[in-house]
Amino acid sequence: MAIVGIGEVPTGRFPDKPAIYHAVESARMAIRDAGIDKDEIDFVMPTAAMFSFSYIGELTTARLVEELGLKNCKKNCLIFSGGSSSSTGLQMAGAMIASGVARAVLFSHSEKLGTAITGQEGIDLFSVSGISPEWEVPFGQHYSTVAALATTRYKYETGCTDEHIAAVCVSNRKWAELNPNAFFRKPLTIEEVLSSKMLSTPLRAKMSNMLFDGGSAFILTSAERARDLPNKPVYVLGEGGIVTHHVYSQEPDLTRFGWAKAAKEAFEEAGITPKDIDVAEIYDSYPIYQLIAFEEIGLCRRGEGGEMFLRGDTWPGGKIPCTTDGGMLSKGHIGAGGGVSLLVEAARQLMGKAGERQVPNARFAVETATGGTYMDAQVTVLGTEIP
Amino acid sequence: MERPKKPVPAVTPWGMPFWEGTRQGKLMIQRCSDCNKYIFYPRLVCPHCFSDNVGWVQASGRGTVYSYTVVQSNAPSSFLDDIPYVVAVIRLEEGVQMLSNIVGCDPSELRCDMPVEVTFEKLTDEFTLPKFRPAKP
Repeated sequence: MAIVGIGEVPTGRFPDKPAIYHAVESARMAIRDAGIDKDEIDFVMPTAAMFSFSYIGELTTARLVEELGLKNCKKNCLIFSGGSSSSTGLQMAGAMIASGVARAVLFSHSEKLGTAITGQEGIDLFSVSGISPEWEVPFGQHYSTVAALATTRYKYETGCTDEHIAAVCVSNRKWAELNPNAFFRKPLTIEEVLSSKMLSTPLRAKMSNMLFDGGSAFILTSAERARDLPNKPVYVLGEGGIVTHHVYSQEPDLTRFGWAKAAKEAFEEAGITPKDIDVAEIYDSYPIYQLIAFEEIGLCRRGEGGEMFLRGDTWPGGKIPCTTDGGMLSKGHIGAGGGVSLLVEAARQLMGKAGERQVPNARFAVETATGGTYMDAQVTVLGTEIP
Repeated sequence: MERPKKPVPAVTPWGMPFWEGTRQGKLMIQRCSDCNKYIFYPRLVCPHCFSDNVGWVQASGRGTVYSYTVVQSNAPSSFLDDIPYVVAVIRLEEGVQMLSNIVGCDPSELRCDMPVEVTFEKLTDEFTLPKFRPAKP
């Protein structure tokens, strides 16, 4: 199967735009981009938003199908695994296309975390959402401490420095400077990251994502159908995944997680190796997770990633461009959409439609995603050809 | 500004022996009666061998700090008055991991793998939380 169309609205703060606006606009762009008639869509797969339970209810009950006026949609079904909803949705959609259950799937994400709730409400939401109310909430765990705990241990085991962690943020910003849909587009330096407010040691404010509104969408269909459509098809070549924990403190290795196993599966299925990758869309949310996944999926050896982010290997023009939409750290965190927009960006790069930040001759891309408190490791290998 | 009250543990029924234990100053964990492996947090079914023949034992209360962080800002509302506080993943001698707070320790003295021991802090009449402090030599 292949991704044949993508759509995305800018990430930002839009108090006057309801979440369904982001869903409709990005879905419409994706359908137009695919060059298909809207009524060819026979399966709509929204993923959940986090700002509102009632909006999840609207998506569950086919609001998007009705808003888009889809006449031949056989099923509307929410697919949600938090931040890994992109990879999970892609695999579910692919399985349905492969089995003939669906012919053209619309996957849609929309979110309003940036304007529907206040900053402190955001911190409070992410101190209970996905965090065990019996075993972690009573101890003051929240997403800053979650990221900080992995960072502390990773630094201890590998000798990684705060400069290396900050370099991931700087690298993502270099890409966001070139992305009109990103929120943070001013240049960022290591010094600015390391002098920003300390949240939970060693995690500082500019190592932390901020919540925004936004949305993106993609269309998946069969490789056969894709050949007749205008875009260069982006084939799904390999997928791997493993769920490692629910309660964060139960994860046996906070410096590795399940990335190596998931990547091995994905690359084996794809029939290529990490050396063949032209562009790496690595899920960030916090720099430590991007660094760990980058290393563990095989793009470099453990403990060597920090230097690569620092010296520019992952920047525009570098030898392994990484997280080229700016990621959640610089494009902005839109809930489950952080992962969806990375998947959309992987497709955009392979289609050759990434504008100023286009990686020249990109043939193979790897995309990673993880949900909850990094409960799973999902790796997808995509390409413009089937090796 | 008045802060919201501290969250109390949302107890699962089969986790009650743990919370009854902390109220009495004991750190209780499960042990599978079939495969003899220790289990935390409390489960209905042994995650190692799938047996439902799980019992309770008192843990030694000793362990090491797997990782830690000192919260200095942007805490959840009910923890804002506690800043700075330490969140840590503790590896108990029995081989299981749990999240807790480290108390009675200058944050600059914290290290990964440092030995710690349990201490108990009353949260409400009903709930006492297990916390950890540097182990006495």
